[in-house]
Amino acid sequence: MATVSIQSLTKRFGRVLAVDGLTFEAPPGKITGFLGPNGAGKTTTLRSLVGLVRQTSGQALIDGSRYQDLAQPRRVVGAVLESGSSRPGRSGRDHLRVLAGTTGVGATRVDEVLDMVGLTGAAGRRVAEYSLGMRQRLGLAGALLADPAVLILDEPANGLDPEGIAWLRNLMRGLAAEGRTVLISSHLLSEVAQTVDRVVIIDHGQLKFTGSLAELGSGTVVVRAVQLDQLRAALGLAGYQVTAAAGALEVTGATAEEVGRVAADVRIALSALTSEGASLEAAFLRLTSSDEAPRASRFRRPSAAPAPRGNN
Amino acid sequence: MYALISNEFLKLRTSRAPWLIIAIQQILVVAALSGMAIAELDFKSPTAARLLLAHAGMTSLLVMVLGILAVAGEYRDGTITDTFLATPRRSRVIGAKLVAYTAVGVLSGILTAITALIVGMAWFSAKGYTLDPTSADVWQTLLGAALWMPLYAAIGVGLGAMVRNLASAVAIALAWIAFVEGIAINLLGDLGRWLPMASGMALDNVPQGKLLPQGAGGLVLVGYAILFAVVATLATMRSDVA
Repeated sequence: MATVSIQSLTKRFGRVLAVDGLTFEAPPGKITGFLGPNGAGKTTTLRSLVGLVRQTSGQALIDGSRYQDLAQPRRVVGAVLESGSSRPGRSGRDHLRVLAGTTGVGATRVDEVLDMVGLTGAAGRRVAEYSLGMRQRLGLAGALLADPAVLILDEPANGLDPEGIAWLRNLMRGLAAEGRTVLISSHLLSEVAQTVDRVVIIDHGQLKFTGSLAELGSGTVVVRAVQLDQLRAALGLAGYQVTAAAGALEVTGATAEEVGRVAADVRIALSALTSEGASLEAAFLRLTSSDEAPRASRFRRPSAAPAPRGNN
Repeated sequence: MYALISNEFLKLRTSRAPWLIIAIQQILVVAALSGMAIAELDFKSPTAARLLLAHAGMTSLLVMVLGILAVAGEYRDGTITDTFLATPRRSRVIGAKLVAYTAVGVLSGILTAITALIVGMAWFSAKGYTLDPTSADVWQTLLGAALWMPLYAAIGVGLGAMVRNLASAVAIALAWIAFVEGIAINLLGDLGRWLPMASGMALDNVPQGKLLPQGAGGLVLVGYAILFAVVATLATMRSDVA
């Protein structure tokens, strides 16, 4: 059982503020999705957490300790921060043997994790011949070597086909069900929406939202109709906040029933009316697109727009 | 620390670069000594044996490239992330690599000296002369050549850890040896004897040019290796692996 705790974390690279006073927790037994557009500061945050990047201020702790202070760090934290990071000429099994050498686990464990990620058959082949998906699996195998209580994965779905994503989802669900802390980053909400229990959304290095997916989607209704402009006007008159999005309207602060009633009053036929699912992506985009007006007022805006810091 | 060093040896054993580099080195020694023997060597000269055998030492550049791969290669492959995750105290990683790569340098030095001795003896006897392996000239030159390899390996480890970008580190090493040191020697005059390539040639017992005594050349290289190791360790501890 180990909680990952980010406290007022700030990291400045020269003039670029990559992470700006970020605070959140990832609890044990849950899969936490760490979301934000490319350059939001996800990778920098995760790398600070494991001591690869030295933060400017604030703390990133695992079960109350800095990663560098853990006696056996890889036994506590398994991390995949770079997909396909292995010497191309080495075989998959040799890559894991090298990792096992400094992790303090034996050769039998190498075979076990190869089996867990379905690479037993390809273990003798050079990693150069692996597909991107196979490299992701190899990276996971390395992270799982010492059976860690915390699993940190940076964009684990990159390069995986739908079958691979489903496999990854099951694997992570199983690990979380065993009481482990799972923290996965992604720039695509849809990639992880079916996997995660909680989401932490950041943009420009700042926290935008933390909570469950249900909370993220609540209060937003997506509605479609042929007479979209009239419907928009009617909803606006009724006092709801409306934004147009690709042939549909998003209504915030309303229930589906209320939206339906407004439409009935002005005799507009609806072609779709949903209060969740589709609205998750919209909520995510609204939280992370800097030119949109509605933003939680309790968060400071960045004083100057920082240049995006490349992750992946 | 023992586990870290043996893990570096495991990395070396499971990649092809070290074996390729040592094999290429032996081929170059055979080619270089044969070329010298065929083209220009005056077998009657009292320094003939030194001149011929010292060519073996020049392949230490390859061992430096191997040393550069130790850290810069891990940055290129991305494996440095896993390495530092397993060992957050990065100074220990650099230390383990220095030990392991210096040891590989010793191995390469011994092999190269043996290859050079066999090829040298073969050419001397083919031309009707004898190369006496017990003469001071011969064993001092071979010993110097053999010691040049581990010292350049260690300097390479330091250079790779300081520069981190593999292509840049190799380019810097090649440019230095190809022309930068030559320019520096012209500018510095007598002080040029203390530069890394001139010190290596002194250690190699090359019977040409204004060089330091053999022992002094070796000590200067040890100094460079320590200086590079310290700077590389400090730089590695401070840097962000982003």
